[in-house]
Amino acid sequence: MAEAARTTRIPLVERVLEANDEVAAANRAQLERRGIFSVDLIGAPGSGKTALLEATLRALRGRRQPAVLVGDLATRRDGDRLARWCDQVVQISTGQGCHLEANQVRDALAEIDLDAVDLLFIENVGNLICPVGFDLGQSAKVGLFSTAEGEDKAAKHPYLVEAADLILLNKVDLLPYLAFDRSFFEADVRLLNPRVPILGVSATTGEGLEAWLAWLERAARSGLPASTD
Amino acid sequence: MRGVHEFSIAEALVAQVQRHAPPSGRVREVEICVGALRGLEPDALRMSWEAVTHGTSIDGAILHVDLRPWTITCSSCGRTWTSPVPFVACACGDPAPRPTAGDELDLVSLTVETEED
Repeated sequence: MAEAARTTRIPLVERVLEANDEVAAANRAQLERRGIFSVDLIGAPGSGKTALLEATLRALRGRRQPAVLVGDLATRRDGDRLARWCDQVVQISTGQGCHLEANQVRDALAEIDLDAVDLLFIENVGNLICPVGFDLGQSAKVGLFSTAEGEDKAAKHPYLVEAADLILLNKVDLLPYLAFDRSFFEADVRLLNPRVPILGVSATTGEGLEAWLAWLERAARSGLPASTD
Repeated sequence: MRGVHEFSIAEALVAQVQRHAPPSGRVREVEICVGALRGLEPDALRMSWEAVTHGTSIDGAILHVDLRPWTITCSSCGRTWTSPVPFVACACGDPAPRPTAGDELDLVSLTVETEED
């Protein structure tokens, strides 16, 4: 008797990134237990993520005990730049990976003396798309755009804008030289995420830095919004 | 190829399908549901899927992508409709109705072929 093939449809409803999300939840629990506020900084290559962190770390000296995880496809240059301003910097080389994943953050956290940290910055790989979908266990996602990228970048990357707890617009010192209409940029952000704060900064001149630092302090104190992520 | 946005999603999906596939069966079809917010291209997903499954136990399985569109809500006239793109004008003349979309990315079903006596 010949064998017959039987076809069965197996219904499942499971998140595709569940394995990542489970590790992210463990990262979040570990950081929350220690009272460490963490920021996942997401922006395009050249938007000024490292420059912003350099300026931020410099301003926080003596005020906070930060640590930085920095993801990059190749080279340790960003890590070396940041290590000038912060004792605890871990460079995560992602090889060909275009975003950080929760297990890379878990492994990098193991290299840090978390008892000596009260604020964690995670500089994601320069990319406005892939990093957004991978929860790392951060307290807040910060979307960094820059004026040099053009005013339509927010509209073209709705997932980041929608998911962000704060939108930073870097390189505002260049506005006089660019055809960048800030009101267009902000209107697109508002359509996608009506309540997100938008702050203009310049990592180079320091313009707007105090407002960004004040947001950080406020968010860190209120624990925003780790429990809702 | 790895830099493609959809590739890492396809990799995660393959591992997940292999976890759920019954040992005696052959996976023929995989159905996923994707919210528009994810910005995933179904064609790029299927191309990545074919590349990642090649030579594995689920080689040849067909990926079905149910892409959920944007919902556009116009505050001027109250109309609500769906659209494949987020930034569209309303027929009433409002240039900027509000786009919303889900960020779901779920494995919905597997279709498995098993041999019987």
